[in-house]
Amino acid sequence: MPVLRVENLCKRYPGFLLDNISFSVCEGRITGLIGRNGAGKTTTLKSIFNLVHPDGGEISVFGLNMPADERKIKQRIGYAGGAVDYYKHKKLRDISRITSMFYGNWDDSAYRKYLDAFSLDENKTPLELSEGMRVKFSLTLALSHHAELLVLDEPTSGLDPVSRAELLDTFLFLKEKGVGILFSTHITTDLEKCADDIVYIASGKLIAAKPLREFISENAQAGNGDSLEDIMVRYEKESLYEKLAD
Amino acid sequence: MKNLLINELRLSASPLSYIFLTAALMTMLPGYPILMSAFFICFGNFHTFQNAREANDTLYSVLLPVSKNDIVRARFVFIIVIQSAGFLLCAALTALRMTVLSDTKPYTGNSLMNATPVYLAFVLLIYCAFNILFAAGFYKTAYKIGIPFIRFGSAVFILVAAAEILPHLPGLTFLHSPKGERQGVQFAALAAAAVVYCVFTAAACRISQKRFEKIDL
Repeated sequence: MPVLRVENLCKRYPGFLLDNISFSVCEGRITGLIGRNGAGKTTTLKSIFNLVHPDGGEISVFGLNMPADERKIKQRIGYAGGAVDYYKHKKLRDISRITSMFYGNWDDSAYRKYLDAFSLDENKTPLELSEGMRVKFSLTLALSHHAELLVLDEPTSGLDPVSRAELLDTFLFLKEKGVGILFSTHITTDLEKCADDIVYIASGKLIAAKPLREFISENAQAGNGDSLEDIMVRYEKESLYEKLAD
Repeated sequence: MKNLLINELRLSASPLSYIFLTAALMTMLPGYPILMSAFFICFGNFHTFQNAREANDTLYSVLLPVSKNDIVRARFVFIIVIQSAGFLLCAALTALRMTVLSDTKPYTGNSLMNATPVYLAFVLLIYCAFNILFAAGFYKTAYKIGIPFIRFGSAVFILVAAAEILPHLPGLTFLHSPKGERQGVQFAALAAAAVVYCVFTAAACRISQKRFEKIDL
């Protein structure tokens, strides 16, 4: 069952058009959002959170309309734009205490569990944490109010291989609990390890939104490569070649 | 809304917003343009905007299950609380100067503005300039603070200059009286300034909400 449905999302910036993006994220499934820098991934994710105003299209989360039901939706959704990059000089305890007040279903025991599992020290500030630990704190905040959908913008970027593996394990654990996860990344090997579905955007246009295995096998048969990285390189290099040839 | 206000007080607010409330003590300075007290109280609030911006508070706040309108309203409530506290301190000290200390020498021979109800009216006008020029100006982008602050600073210069010049104009020397002569006129001016403050602050809040809603973050 889709927890997130994006239909014909359009956003125009000077020199860039996010053009009719449509896809959905189902509960208990991990969806990877891939594309080059500037392809429109972050604009897509920000549109889901009403951080940018789409010029067209519809976004519904849990069957509710964004932005009309923004507050209700945000009670049930978690966002982590990579590592925590706000209130870097405040203690984690202070940030979480304030954050908890906004969520009706904040679960302090779950919060403690994730703090413990991620070995986070509440007396530290984000500034004192490594990039990986800050991502984990960001996730802890999102998970402590039992988010049913996690939207993550490049959560594995800048992490060492062990931290990335731990994070992917966390995603798989959450998936088993029925959480829908949408995360953007450049590290395509991470998606191959855990994603069920793939959304591929190139230069603001949707290339594919389908199950990962299907996407890879179709492209393998077409001779575009048998890994996400090979396929992406093939698509993007071709378009650059055409630009240069024009 | 209550939670957002707690967020303002505990996370966003710069300590300088509270510390600069002591600038109200400038009301007691003879031979000094005492309206600068209002400027410094606003300067404390400016630091809260700057502090919140550096801490990436906008992103933190918009991700919470709250409306953008409430985020702006909470910031305005915080500003108004600080300004009200500053005003009450200035008012108490003005009352002290107009009564117990009215015949005290430094104030009887004071060449610059004395603490009177008209002084308090100008305090409110400076607050008003902050809210409409700086705060509402900030929400055009939610990160640029330089130009709105220059506009506010220019308005303060004009208001302080006007307040210092007025008592020297024919027929307005009563504004300079340490005891607050013609109090009816003076309190009427204060009441008018209070109305202007309320109207313009409400307008500044509404304009800020509309501007913040339109911004792509």
